[in-house]
Amino acid sequence: MNVRKILKISAVALASATVLWALQRLLVPKYMGKVVEGALIREYYEEKSPHDVIILGDCEVYENLSPVVLWREFGIASYIRGSAQQLIAQSYYLLEDTLRHESPKAVILSVSAMQQYKQDNETYNRMTLDGMKWSPSKVGAIRATMMEDEHMTEYVFPLLRFHSRWRELEADDFRYFWEKRKVSHNGYYMRADVRPAGEFPAERRRSSYAFDERAWQYLDKIRTLCRERGITLILMKAPSLYPAWYPQWDQQIRDYAGEHGLLYINCIEKSGDIGIDFSWDTYDGGLHMNVYGAEKMSRYLGDILLDVPGVKDQRQEAGEGAMAAEWEEKCRFYDEMKAAQEQEFEDKGYLSQFAQ
Amino acid sequence: MHLVSYEFGAFLVILVALYYVLPGRFQWAVLLAFSYLFYIRGGVIYLLYPLITTASTWFLARAMGDRTLRFRAWVKEKKPGREEKTACNRRVKAGQRRLLVLGLVLNFGILAVLKYFRFFLETIGALAGLGGGEGVWAWGDWILPLGISYYTFQSMGYLIDVYYCKYEPEKNPARFALFVSFFPQMVAGPISRFDQMREELYKPHRFQMENIILGARRMLWGYFKKLVVADRLGPAVAVIIRSPETYDGIYVLLGMIGYAIWMYADFAGGMDIVLGTAKLFGVLLPENFDRPFASKSLGEFWRRWHMTLMLWLREYIFFPVSTSRLAKRMSKLASKVMGKKAAGKVPVYIATLTVWFVAGIWHGASWNFIAWGLANGVVLLVSQEMAGGYRRFHAIFPFGKTRAYEIFQVIRTFLMFAFLEMFEYYPFATVFAMGKSLLTSWSAGQLFDGRAEALGLSPADLGVLALGVALMVRSGFRKAEEAEEGTKRRSFFARYIEVFGLFVLVVVTGVYGRGYDASQFIYNQF
Repeated sequence: MNVRKILKISAVALASATVLWALQRLLVPKYMGKVVEGALIREYYEEKSPHDVIILGDCEVYENLSPVVLWREFGIASYIRGSAQQLIAQSYYLLEDTLRHESPKAVILSVSAMQQYKQDNETYNRMTLDGMKWSPSKVGAIRATMMEDEHMTEYVFPLLRFHSRWRELEADDFRYFWEKRKVSHNGYYMRADVRPAGEFPAERRRSSYAFDERAWQYLDKIRTLCRERGITLILMKAPSLYPAWYPQWDQQIRDYAGEHGLLYINCIEKSGDIGIDFSWDTYDGGLHMNVYGAEKMSRYLGDILLDVPGVKDQRQEAGEGAMAAEWEEKCRFYDEMKAAQEQEFEDKGYLSQFAQ
Repeated sequence: MHLVSYEFGAFLVILVALYYVLPGRFQWAVLLAFSYLFYIRGGVIYLLYPLITTASTWFLARAMGDRTLRFRAWVKEKKPGREEKTACNRRVKAGQRRLLVLGLVLNFGILAVLKYFRFFLETIGALAGLGGGEGVWAWGDWILPLGISYYTFQSMGYLIDVYYCKYEPEKNPARFALFVSFFPQMVAGPISRFDQMREELYKPHRFQMENIILGARRMLWGYFKKLVVADRLGPAVAVIIRSPETYDGIYVLLGMIGYAIWMYADFAGGMDIVLGTAKLFGVLLPENFDRPFASKSLGEFWRRWHMTLMLWLREYIFFPVSTSRLAKRMSKLASKVMGKKAAGKVPVYIATLTVWFVAGIWHGASWNFIAWGLANGVVLLVSQEMAGGYRRFHAIFPFGKTRAYEIFQVIRTFLMFAFLEMFEYYPFATVFAMGKSLLTSWSAGQLFDGRAEALGLSPADLGVLALGVALMVRSGFRKAEEAEEGTKRRSFFARYIEVFGLFVLVVVTGVYGRGYDASQFIYNQF
């Protein structure tokens, strides 16, 4: 093959790859508008300084805990690797992925994922898995949680999954083609609007309260990984009023924690101690905390976390260095967004970004 | 394995690599192994029937061939007299006929039981007044192997050809198995002849970039027709034709046109994928379409649409039936009643209607398909009878050669084809009611009365469909070989832009992926 031919083929291959890459970049959802949850997992990779505490789980962590408060009031550097309807298997692989980048001292795991082992909505899978960087952990997460009608090929080439978005492209798809704006505060999804808790349907009786065997296996894998890496694992149930967290479930987790010497915090029971006021601290009628509830939750957990070996107040150590500057920037971003949301909620009674 | 699946893509990449890495003498064996692998992805049971067909056909053809060889050797050795030779030949032929009939009965019997048993039960049940609700005859359903009609017709064509000594039977059963089971064509044709395919399948093929480019290009056109046009249009057409009570008037016309385009895009798309896939291995399969929508009459149309099936029917049904004893007897009878001229037409009438009856039932086990087949046969015979009148008319009014008249003929043929397709999807009596509705309650306003919205086609979909149909029309009026030659003549970058542009168009605007249940090709079911 002569040089000219090689050059021609290389040029064609490069041009094809570039066009396909650009198309893919344009067509995949940006998660910069009403639904920002899909951007949370990816933002972790932009972090510069390490974290002592990693928080894993579904909306019960990324809407209910504020790492900025943990830093500002306790000096604890933390990050929430949370995503919508995160399955326990995904939590495991996200932990594995995180440990590739840093060595935290404590991991908080939301146990609400124990109630559902299999994914029932592909959108949630995509929001979690597409955000992960390629690694054996991502491959493992996809293989473990992919729905029956999903294909690994469509994770490798998301263009094949999102190709039909060409007819619903929005300004955001072009605006965030190159670079996305930051939407979370160390994985925390801020909501400063208020919708007091309302009525919920009565708890439905279930034929079985036993968690799926495979969910237990992944919980064991998380526990084992933490033990091997000298990380303290804390199990947590957020103070949501709905869906129900049955006493039978609670007991199983309590027994498991007792058996393995883990700390289990059921915040539903502790909501009085935490100071949760369900007429003010929730933005969706009691399902999730708003920023006020999340700040209370963080204050409650801050003291507990400082008791974990290795977790310490880093504010002194950070001094005037890069880490301090980084957190100062995070706090400023947090305060600005909170103030803006509060103002908008006061003016309009709703937050336009999240309105229907 | 579905031709529209990621799995098929991976399968092809591995097979192409292996095919060209291995020495040429092993290539056919690799194709056979992968063909079986392709087939058993649906379940091992599906391989059982093609294996029975392969084994029985190979064995019977060999037995027939051996008798011919023995006869020839006997003639050579004994040098018998004319009478002795004729008598022996008659005995040999009688023995071979028994083998042929055994093969035909066994293989068409399998096809009949698997494909038509339930239809037969339902018909008998209805005639006997047994009635019964939905599902009563469900026990008459059998596992239907993919493409059974194709490989059965192809194998039986081989057996008949060997009977008529058109070529020697294949000695190697594994090589013959590849002829029956070559994976691209096994599920949807084209129905090939052994003497055409022997060279193509068994000779070693050297790697040629040209074959890969042309094969990939052809496949991409196929995916374009299937994914961009057929699978986008199909659901909307299905809504129209399944609800004749709602979609009458102008929607009958839309349904007719839509169904014809859908059918073509799906079938011709599938054929492009099949032929393109075979081309990757250097194997040339016969074309199944030759610009059918450029036809100026229905007869011409059927010589250009599903050509290999029509050729099979002509060779193995039309000719034998038209020269059969029954046809001759009927002709003699007609001669007495209607005269010599009519008598000469009787065998043609019988053979034509038989061909179209078989074509109808080949397409599906239902009276709809039989009605569709016979309707085509009747229209063709009527056209034939009117041909003389047409000639006289055009002799007086010589506008038959004008461009405008040619366009009129093309449109008329398309509409006639589309109208006759209505027998496939509407109950027999409904066809005429819908035809009447089209002629009497037609109004353009019906397009804006809300019914069109239920078809599920957005303006963006309509735009893509318009583009897709325009591209199909553009390519549809060129012969496949001309298109390939055109591609070969273009510069490297022009070829790249064509192939890559097509790829991007398919990837972005194709109807596939999650939430989309990859529909089978319509012709896979036959």
